[in-house]
Amino acid sequence: MRSSPTGRRWAGQLRTMLASLPPARGLLPLVLLLVAWQLIQGGPSPYFPGPAQWWKATEALFDREHLLAAFGATTATFLEGLALAIVLGTALGVLVGISRAAARALQPLLEFMRAIPPPVTVPVATLLIGYGTGMKLTVVVLSGLWPILLNAASAVRQIDPLLLDVAHSFRLTAWQRMNRIILPAIVPSLLIGIRIAIPLAIVVTLLVEMLTSLPGIGALMIRSQRNYQSSEVYALLVLVGLFGFVVNDLFAVVEGVIMRRWPPRE
Amino acid sequence: MPERRRLLHRINWPGLSTIALAFLLWEMLLRAGFAQYQNLPAPSAIAGGLVEIAASGQLLTDTLHTLRSVLVGWGAALVAGIVLGLLLGVSRTLRRYCLASIEVLRPMPGIAFAPVALLLFGFSLQMELMVIILPALWPVLINTMGAVMGVHARLFEVGRTFRLSRGEILRKIMLPAALPGVLVGARLSLTLALVLAIVAEMVGNPAGLGYAVVREQQAMRPELVFAYVVAIGALGVILNEVLTGAVARLFPAASGRLREAA
Repeated sequence: MRSSPTGRRWAGQLRTMLASLPPARGLLPLVLLLVAWQLIQGGPSPYFPGPAQWWKATEALFDREHLLAAFGATTATFLEGLALAIVLGTALGVLVGISRAAARALQPLLEFMRAIPPPVTVPVATLLIGYGTGMKLTVVVLSGLWPILLNAASAVRQIDPLLLDVAHSFRLTAWQRMNRIILPAIVPSLLIGIRIAIPLAIVVTLLVEMLTSLPGIGALMIRSQRNYQSSEVYALLVLVGLFGFVVNDLFAVVEGVIMRRWPPRE
Repeated sequence: MPERRRLLHRINWPGLSTIALAFLLWEMLLRAGFAQYQNLPAPSAIAGGLVEIAASGQLLTDTLHTLRSVLVGWGAALVAGIVLGLLLGVSRTLRRYCLASIEVLRPMPGIAFAPVALLLFGFSLQMELMVIILPALWPVLINTMGAVMGVHARLFEVGRTFRLSRGEILRKIMLPAALPGVLVGARLSLTLALVLAIVAEMVGNPAGLGYAVVREQQAMRPELVFAYVVAIGALGVILNEVLTGAVARLFPAASGRLREAA
């Protein structure tokens, strides 16, 4: 079967990314650390259970605690929250950025909203909305919204006014102007905003699960810790680490494809 | 006199009045009974809450605790990050044998360390510091390493021509050239340290501003929750301004990159 051009582009991007990864022998210190850990303290321990114990704990979690369901809940919240933050942040950012007066008037308010560390939204949302999936999603959206919004707004303000004049003389509709001129021009800044938003959204997703025991990996982590199941705590730490790693690398691939489609203009 | 006029001119009046207007609208809607959120306090109640915690001294105690944790954790992350970043930036062999490990560990969400830290240290300051230091290390390390690698090779040749010792090359050539990068990392790391201190105080160490927000939420004192949120936001803004101000004064040449990186 012939692969589509899009498929080829993604495959090519994946290859360039794999080639740019640091050499695998760089994993040596990490592997040595784990091996030494296993040799010195292989058995169960309340503080430093050996890596082999983590594996056993993962299997137990898998059978007993529906690990996959918890992972699904966390991933779904994270992805939905991030997607909403991207859509809302871009839309509001363009609206704010398109008018110089609006941008200047709203800037201090938005900057203050961004300065508030996102974890703080969790108790506030609990107070106003109460426990529930709606509240979980709201705090994740709010954590990622501000960096995306502010980056979009400042990128719109930097668009060459000539381009907008051209759009005007060609009598482009608002929709065409958005699609053909504004969006392509702000893509690089949007990607930077999203890159900042991703770790914040992950942290807030896990935090809201820890604080409210809504189903998810965060809730599992805090419960294992409260029950002093140390091997489970380490097992979940590794799993969350892998989650962060995969999200990070997938976004790098997406970013590469998008940047090639809409290269930044000078 | 022109100095003062420029200052007056630089203040963003429309921006400030927008904030004032938003507060006024919020207050009026609540007074008129339009907004039916049970736990949403009016701005006047929040201001009252701020006065209350400031007068009782609780705000000062909580702020000092958080500030101390942030500064100690950030300081430790800075020292470790700069030393490791310098080593990795200088030695290609070290990079070859460590970089992949760093790339695996770096995207680990900081909050994931909280349960392990609780396991090891219980509800304590050590727990809070562990949650702050580990994630705050990466921005400093990566930016320092990148900055050292970006120092032009000719600068080293100049150093050798002048027969500088290794220590002198480090002190007189490498550090100044790498400084802007190091400062960018330091700033990112400071923001991160505050976020993580709040997280650690919410789930672990029962002290400081992060714990105060959760405490007042459980006590159903919405006006105090919002008062603490305002205080945390203000602390973030002040820390950031102090750092950029100090950099602009101490290293004027390096401060341009810092503003760009915001």
